Formats: sequence, C-alpha cells, structure tokens
Amino acid sequence: MSEQVRQCAKLTVALVLLVVFHAVVLLAGFFAPYGFAQQNRDLPFAPPTSPHFVDTSGEWHARPFVYGLADDPENPGSYRIDATAIYPLHFFVRGAPYKIAGILGARMHLFGVDDPGRLFLMGSDSLGRDQFSRFLFGGQLSLLAGILAAGLSVSLGIIIGGIAGFYGGWLDDLLMRGGELFLALPWLYMLFAIRAALPLQVSQAQVFLLLVAVVGLIGWARPARLIRGVVLSAKERNFVLAARGFGASLAYLLRRHILPEACGVILTQLALLVPQYILAEVTLTFLGLGVGEPMASWGTLLSTLQQYYVLSSYWWMFLPALLLIPLFLAYNAVADAIQERLKSVAL
Amino acid sequence: MSKKLHKWRPVIACGVLLLSGFVAAFASHTRSPEELAVTDNTPGREGGNLVVALRSEPKTFNPALVEDDPSREVIDCLNADLIHINRDTLKTEPALAKSWTVSPDGKQYTLHLRHGVRFSDGQPFNADDVVFSFQVYLDEKLHSPQRDLLVVGDKPVAVQKIDDYTVRFSLAQPYAAAERIFDGVAILPRHLLENAYQEGKFSEVWSTSAPPSQVAGLGPFRLKEYVPGQRVVLEKNPFYWKQDKAGNRLPYLAQLEFLFVPSEDAQVIRFEAGDTDILSRFSAENFAVLQKEQAVKGYHVSDLGASLEYNFLFFNLNDLSSKAKPEIAAKQAWFRDLRFRQAVSFAIDRAGIVRLVYNGRATPLWDQVTPGNTLWADAAIPHPARSLDRSKELLKSAGFWWKSGGTLVDPHGTPVEFSILTNSSNAPRLKMAALIQDDLSRLGMNVHVVPLEFSAMVDRLLNSYDYEAAIMGIASGDADPTSEMNVWVSDGETHLWNLAGKPSTPWESEMDQLMRQQEVTLDYAKRKSLYDRVQEIVFQDLPVICLASPDVLVAARNRVGNFSPAILEPYVLWNVDELYVR
Amino acid sequence: MRYVTRRLFHAAFLLVGVSFLSFALLQWAPGDFFDELRLNPRISARTIEGLRAEYGLNESLPVRYERWLLSIAKGDLGFSIAYNSPVGPLLIVRARNTLVLTGAATIIAWTLAIPVGVWSAVSRGWPSRAIGFATSTLLTIPDLLLFLCLLLLAVRTGWFPVGGMFSPRAADTVGIAAFWPSAEDLAAHLILPAAGLALVALPVLIRHVRSAMLDVLGSPFLRAARGHGISRSRLLFRYAFPVAANPLISLIGFSIATMLSGSLVAEVVLSWPGLGPLLIEATLSRDVYVVVAIVLLSAVFLVLGMLVSDLLLFAADPRIRQE
Repeated sequence: MSEQVRQCAKLTVALVLLVVFHAVVLLAGFFAPYGFAQQNRDLPFAPPTSPHFVDTSGEWHARPFVYGLADDPENPGSYRIDATAIYPLHFFVRGAPYKIAGILGARMHLFGVDDPGRLFLMGSDSLGRDQFSRFLFGGQLSLLAGILAAGLSVSLGIIIGGIAGFYGGWLDDLLMRGGELFLALPWLYMLFAIRAALPLQVSQAQVFLLLVAVVGLIGWARPARLIRGVVLSAKERNFVLAARGFGASLAYLLRRHILPEACGVILTQLALLVPQYILAEVTLTFLGLGVGEPMASWGTLLSTLQQYYVLSSYWWMFLPALLLIPLFLAYNAVADAIQERLKSVAL
Repeated sequence: MSKKLHKWRPVIACGVLLLSGFVAAFASHTRSPEELAVTDNTPGREGGNLVVALRSEPKTFNPALVEDDPSREVIDCLNADLIHINRDTLKTEPALAKSWTVSPDGKQYTLHLRHGVRFSDGQPFNADDVVFSFQVYLDEKLHSPQRDLLVVGDKPVAVQKIDDYTVRFSLAQPYAAAERIFDGVAILPRHLLENAYQEGKFSEVWSTSAPPSQVAGLGPFRLKEYVPGQRVVLEKNPFYWKQDKAGNRLPYLAQLEFLFVPSEDAQVIRFEAGDTDILSRFSAENFAVLQKEQAVKGYHVSDLGASLEYNFLFFNLNDLSSKAKPEIAAKQAWFRDLRFRQAVSFAIDRAGIVRLVYNGRATPLWDQVTPGNTLWADAAIPHPARSLDRSKELLKSAGFWWKSGGTLVDPHGTPVEFSILTNSSNAPRLKMAALIQDDLSRLGMNVHVVPLEFSAMVDRLLNSYDYEAAIMGIASGDADPTSEMNVWVSDGETHLWNLAGKPSTPWESEMDQLMRQQEVTLDYAKRKSLYDRVQEIVFQDLPVICLASPDVLVAARNRVGNFSPAILEPYVLWNVDELYVR
Repeated sequence: MRYVTRRLFHAAFLLVGVSFLSFALLQWAPGDFFDELRLNPRISARTIEGLRAEYGLNESLPVRYERWLLSIAKGDLGFSIAYNSPVGPLLIVRARNTLVLTGAATIIAWTLAIPVGVWSAVSRGWPSRAIGFATSTLLTIPDLLLFLCLLLLAVRTGWFPVGGMFSPRAADTVGIAAFWPSAEDLAAHLILPAAGLALVALPVLIRHVRSAMLDVLGSPFLRAARGHGISRSRLLFRYAFPVAANPLISLIGFSIATMLSGSLVAEVVLSWPGLGPLLIEATLSRDVYVVVAIVLLSAVFLVLGMLVSDLLLFAADPRIRQE
C-alpha cells in the first residue's frame, strides 16, 4: 500500500513540477526581470547577485534589496560588492516589453530593481546579458523544439509502426530495415544543406524549429519499432480478431482497439523523447546549427561551457545545465509512472 | 688467385690506398669552404628539447603542396629560402642568397648563393637545386599554392642558372615586393626529388608517411620521426649554414617536438600542465587565465600588440541584375548610399568590441592596416569617436526618418531591416555581430544575425551573392601591401563587396590605380604615400567598415632562451634556430 | 543457417543504401573542402580549380560514386584530402582508439551493473530505493555536462591526466613500433573517459537487470525451487540469473551496435583521439571520403550488433530454437 502511495506521490510531484516549469517558461516575459537581448556592456560575466534583507550596517529592510557591482581594481575582470549602492527589489514592475505567446503585448514583470542596479539571479554572460532571463526565454524555444520533435517522431512512428505491425510480412520487413537505414545515415549533412538553402528572410526561431523538426522526423525508427511490437501483439487479441471477423476496416481497428493498447507506450515514448530532443538541440548548437544571436536557447547557454576559461572561472554558467536536471527527472518520473501502470494493468 | 698475382698483392693494395688518398684529397679540395651566415643573437646553450603544440596533424612535408598552417609550421623548420623576411624588422635579409644585384630596369634579380652549403643529408647545394625548385613550384600541372605568389604581372618569374652559385630571376615588370616573394619558398633537393618529378609522381613524395631518410632540406632541423596521431619529432640539422657570433653552429636545440593537440583549450591546459614549452595563437580569455598563474608555474605570457588581422563588416554591393533577388536589390539602395554606411560606422561601439570580444586585447580599426604594421600604417587616419547623434544626422540627411515606435524608415517608408551573415564556428565574430546588432537597434534598424556554417557562407559570398551584410576577417600573410592586391583591386578574387571584376564607383577605380601603381614603384616613400591614399579611401568611402584587430598573444616557459615572438607568422618559431633551453 | 544468410543479405542491402545516400547527402550540402582557400587573398581561383579537379571534386555524383564503389571492391576506402593519406590506415588507428575506450567502458559498466541490479532487485527497503534514485538522477544528467565536470575535476585536482590518450614522454621510453607504449600510461588516461561513459550507460543497464531479475524472482518455478530448500545464493545464480540473462543478451547487441558511435561527446570533450573528433572535423571541412567511410563502419557495427544479439539469443534460449 505504501509503495503505491509513494508512487502516486512521486508522480504528483513530477507532474506539478512539469506544469509549473512549463507555465513559468511560457510566461517567460513576466517572470524574467530583463529581456533576453538586453546587454550590459560594463558588466560582462558578473556573478549572481542575491537579494538581501540585512545590510552591512546590520539594519533590517522590509523590502529585499541588491547591492551594486563595481569593478575590482585588484582583480581585473572581477567584481566586488559596492555596499553603498542599495537597490530595493520591487514587485510587479513595468519593464522591457514582451509578447505572451507571441501575440499579446505586455510590460509587467514579476520583480525587478531600479536602474542602474541589476538583479542577476544566475549571473551574466559575456555581453552582460542576464542568464536567468535568457534561461526562461531560451526555455520557450528549447521546450517547444523538444516537444515538437518528440511529437513528430512519435506520430511518424505510430503511422509506420502501425502499418508494419498490422500488415506484417514483407512490408514489415521493408519498413523495419528502412528504419535501420535511417538510423545509420549522416543526417548532419542534410541539416547543413537545409540550413544553407533557407532564404535570409526566414526568422532565426523559425529556422531553428525547422531544423529540430527535421531531427524529430528522422528519429521515427525507435518509436516505430516499439509501436510495431505493441500492434503485433494486439493484433492477435481475441477482440481484435472478432472485430476483423465483423469486417472492420484498418482505420477502425487502429482507432478503436489497437491504439488504446499502444497508448501507454506512446505516452512513455513522448515523455522519454522530449528530454532527448532537448539534448539533441544542444548538440546541434555545438556543431554550429544553433539559433542565431541574440536569441537564446538552452543549447546556446550550455555551449559557452565548451570554452575552458568559462568552465574554470565562471561557475554560474553551469546553473542552466543544473536546472535542467530536475526537469528531466520529472519527465522520466512521468514516463516511469506510466510504465508502471502499464505493467500493473497488463498483468 | 694464381700464384703470379699473389706476389703482387701488397703492391696492389698500396697502390689502391695511395690512389684513394689522392682522390679524397682532390674531392675535398673541390668542395668549397662553407660560407656560413652569422647571426647576432645572444649565444645560447647547446642541446635540449623543446615541445610545441600543433593545431592539427601536418598533411604533408612537401613544400610545393602545402596549403594549411600546421604543415607550414613544420616545413618552415625543415627548409630554408633564398631571401628571408626578418620577422622583427619586417624587412628582407640575405638567407641562402648571400647577396644580390638588381638590373637598372628593375626586372632582373641576380642572386649569389652561399658556397659550401649542404642539405641535411650531407649533399651539396647549388644553383641546380634552385632552378629545379622553381621549376616544380611553377609547374601548372602540380597546382602548387606557391605558384600564385611567384606570378608577377600575370607572368611567372623566369629562372636561369648563370653558374653553379649564381641564379638570375626575370620578372615581367618591376615589382616593389620582388625580394619578398622569395620568403618561405623552400629550396628542394634535386638529388632526392628529380626522379619522382620526371616520372610525374611528385605529388606523392614527402607525404607524412615518407621515411625520414628520404626527406632533406636546408632548414635548421631535419625529420627524425613521425608518429601518426601523436607527434612529429625533428632533430638538429648538423649541416645548417648559420652560426652565432661565438662561432657555434646553429641551431642550439638538439630536438624539436610538435605535439598534436587539436583544440585551443586543450593546448592551454597542456601548456599549463607543463607538457609544452611554447604557446601561440590563443584567445584573450585564455590569456587572462594563464596570466594569473605565470609567476607560480614558471612561464610568462606576452601581448605583442595588434596583429595583421583585421575584422570588418561589409554590405553586398554586387550588381544583382542577373540574379533574381529583388529584396536584396531593393535594400542595396540603402547600402550604396555612403551616408548610410557612415552612419553604421559611427554607431558601432568599437571600444565595446575590444573590451567584450577580446577582453581588451585588441585594437579598434578604422581602416584595414593595423598599428602593428609599423611600416605601412597611415598614422594620419583619424579615429572618430562613436557618436549616435552623428549617425542620426547622416541618416536624416540621406532622407531616412523615424516612426513613432523608433523604427528607422527609408525615404519610401520601408522599415530598415537586414541580416548580417557570419561564420557559426567563429566565436569572436558571432559576438561582434551581436554587439553590432544591438548598436544598430539604437538607430532603429532591425538587424538579424544569421550564423552559417563556413562552406555555406562562402557559397553565398562568392557564388550566389545571396546575402545583405556580412562580417569577415582577413589575416594578412605579409606586412607588404602586395599581399592584399586581391582584396583591394576590382578584379581581385577577394574584393568581397563587389565581385563584378570592374570598378563600379570612382573611388574603386582610384583604388585600382593606386594599388597597381604601388606594385611597381620601387621607392618606399613613394609607395607609402600611394598606399596611404588607399587607406584614406577605405576610411572615407567605406567599402568595408573595419572593426578591430586582435593582439598577438604568446606564452613561453621561462627556460626558453632567445624567445623573440613577432606579429608575422610564424609568430614564435620564426627564429627557432636561435632558441635554446636554459 | 538460412536465417544467418538472410540477415547477411539484409545487411549488404543496408550498407549499399547507406553508402549511396551518404554520398547523395554530401553532394547536397553546398561547398567542398577547398572553400577555405577561396577566402585567402594569396591563392588564386585557378589554383583552387586545379586542386579541385585533381581530387575529382568537380565531377558529378554518379561518376564519383561509381569510382568509389570500384575502389571499395578493391579494399581501398578512398583518400582523405584533409590528412593527405588513404582513409583506411587513418580509420584503423582511430577506430582502435575508440574501441579501447568503449570496450573498457562497457566492461566497467557491465561489471558494475549486474551485481548492483541484482542487489537492487533482491533487497527491499532503502537500498533498492537509493539505487533507484541514483539511477534516475544519473539518467537525467546530460552527458555533455558530465564530461565537462570530469574535465574540470581533472584540471582542478591534477589527479588525472587532462585529456589525450598518451603522455608526450611515454612514447619515448619504449619506441614507436610498440602498440602500447606503456599500459600504465594508457590506463591513467583511460580512467576518466571510460568512467564517464560507464556512468552514462550504467543507469539503463541497472534498470534492465533489475527488471529482468524482478520478473524472474516472481515466477512460479523459482518459488517451487525455493520450496525444495535450495539455498538463496544457489537459487540466485544457478536458477534465476540464467533466465534473467535472456533479455540482457539483446542489450549486449545494443552495446556492440553503439560501440563506435556512442563515445562522440566523451572523445571531443576529453580530447580522446578516436573516431568522434575525426567525424566532426571531416563533416565540417567536407572531407567526403572520410565521412562516408566512418558512416559505413558505424553501419557495419550496427548491423553486427543486431546480428550478434539475435544469434546469441538463438544459441542461449532453447525456446527460440524450437520455433
């Protein structure tokens, strides 16, 4: 009993985390204190500034505040806290304009500090841009890309796996061999070719999503194989045989009988593939197919870590990567829970 | 043996001995005494081993076929040239040619070679080797990249042997940089390579799998071993033709090792760890990291000031009538307006680029010649400060105006929007693009940055002309203006903004004239004034908007003696024959 | 036997398809190897054209493919323009390096996965949960991040050599001809990348072992054997494990299939001179024949892996043999 309760609790926590995460990312403009392209040229690679309640003289402020940052003369390139400059944190401030879901314009931000103070919750990058804001806005692109690619992969997998499993025989053989072929090819070149062929007028975000969509379409082989397995076994079930005896068409069978069986596998695949495609996006950026400046994606945030001086001197650049871990954990927990339920139902 | 001859055996033996003695004496008598070049560096200690990192494996040891930098670095240590450019002074000095005379019409150079010089395998060097080498380099079927450097006035130089130690070179026209064309042109050993060349197999010789005994040159080192995927080891050439003031034969080092370390970061890490002794060509950020530990770890870093590389932003000014690109053609109305380009130039935060892209280790540029080029930089070129107001004035005078939201709009009412192309694997240029985009957004321009993979970008710049603006950089191979002919002359292949082959503006024709004139003017002062005018035109008429030049950054362990880095390639190994280990 | 020949036939079809499509894709992406030279003001277009013609880069796709097929038939994998040498020897050295790495990682991973997985399945309470949590976390760490952290660890502590496969001095002591200049030196360089790869592979393996064991532990025949009074350890290793090994055998095939391609990130981050960095370099510089050769080699391993797992399954599981 307690095992089940624990599983249930785990699943709930994971789902809540996912919903909150996605909601925050969707409303990135609101939760981020700055725009993703806002440069602060005199504050490159600034460490995270944390809000305080008590200042250096021991006085307690009701409203949290941040200190100003000044150049450290002894350590060129580093900063020291300027305790004389106190910038209180305000909530529901009017800041840089942004668009919700690309349509609705707004200027309200959850929190912010007055100029010239800066609130860098995750530090700043080489051009002084707030990493936290870029993480949220980048999440919009990366999450969308991951979900899109996973969706495309699974959709194509359903179609092809369904056909292969249902009809069997040489068609099945051909499709599965074709799948192996797909896995083996150097798709990188095709991605380069597509990228090179796109006209200049297409926006960076669109180009990026197109590339990830292609990656998703390419990856149909694994989901197809799994779904084919489910369809194969479902095909032999008595109720399906009965329906076929009644003259049911393929579409009807798939829709009413087989796909519900495959539902569990499909959902599991989706939950497992989204993190994989987010990571694939990081690899694409690594190879030069990332989204252009000044747009942010999680890939561009992580690819700065390739450089040794960033790795060794600026620890806060690791934070975006670390924040991904709970997200991926949540996705995997959901996938696991679905699998558990599948097993318990199947038995 | 028969009994008769048996008696004569001792006599025959003596006779043979005497005869061989005579022959030997005669032979050594005909071998000329060595004429060694004397260097003026501080004498160093003999022996020792130096380790240097290479960005990638050399592709060949054949000087006629080399096209990439890592191979060139190794080949430069194995070979010598007739006339060499001293990287410290940027002027030419005698090398294998101890002296030369120029004919009054400036078209004939008669070089006198050093006597008694031998290749690293002990065989003598003479004019036949020179003639053979140039024959190979100029062979059209071989497609040697060296050939292009030996073409003057559209004709290749002609080589003629006068005697065993004199060679005459004939040029089609007087050429200001004639002496400089010999720099880096390695002299090949005829005795080892002529057969292969006659048989048409020259492109296969001296590949990286060639046995070291088959590879010989006149450089300070000779090939000892090559371990694929790991390192190439060179050893001291005992026959090298230079000695120091104290009479020690150079080089001092017993062994020079090149380690293959593919990425810059890995090179920095290994240098810090003590695996390598010299480091060059690394970024400013790594410089800061290395600088912190230099006292503790026994090495020193140096910033040599501006290099010869210049980065620039340029617009597509090509004639697009034959290509169907109406959108770009429409935008060219803005690009062709000088005031538009000047406005862009005034808006760019060059100081920000120096600070944020290069960590302060760069020089802002307003024309293509960097301050590092002490011989040719025009000090009179002004360095106007960044001024958004000035930009806005210029745009207003060109008929642009601003909508209520701040968007810049052209005289017809179209919002100003364009894209900047850049190489996706070049991090500094990506950052520059991001900074420029932000700068131009303050003028109300909507600029997109399009990072493309290198080949795709080249395709658009040189083939399809399907771009609006781009950021590029060119690293000059030499301080002399003639190395830049292809960039500034209208029919040059890297005249990037306008590849039509002929000038489309009066200032382009003027530049053509000036560049061609300076090519044949032998007097330095006159050439300088011509090239100064070229720089003025670049500054005023902005075919390209120059941005910044990164500094040359090097590092060496303290135990390396006579370390004298220069801003011209090869930065740290140009005087490898003088380096020693303390 | 018929089964094997059928699979081999499929494999041949796959390889031909892969090679042709690879060539086609490479042709589609614009540019070729000599693009870099085109932006060099000191090299003329004529020279570049000449070089291109010399390497056959200006010919059409069918012609080049046909020529390549003929040379493959003779055992010649083509020519690398970047390295100016035949692809074959270049590939062998790099493939050997990659296999050393992935081989070591696979051994480490399996050696750890089996006991940990079995323990996790057998024990109740906190060990099982702790292992479950650890594997979940490990599963979600992006491998790029993991290897970057390992690199940082090496640099900061100095306990491990930082990247590369051999120390620069190691080759001196034994000589060029030696295949392993120094086993100790190799092992020192191998620890970090192999450990990283093993960590990446471990969670999946542990989970599979655990679920396989759980399935078996719940089955009736085992309960019957327990009823006979057979000791716990004998039960585990003589009865349960052989049955549980069945689904694991297909995993071995999967390990083989990804032996050449799975270590790309590790090799790039930790500068291991394997196929990964070579592939990326060749892709970005358009060194066509190298890319096609590597793709082909990976496809061969893919096919081999699947074939091996099917064959092993056939040999190990009498139920399949009967079908």
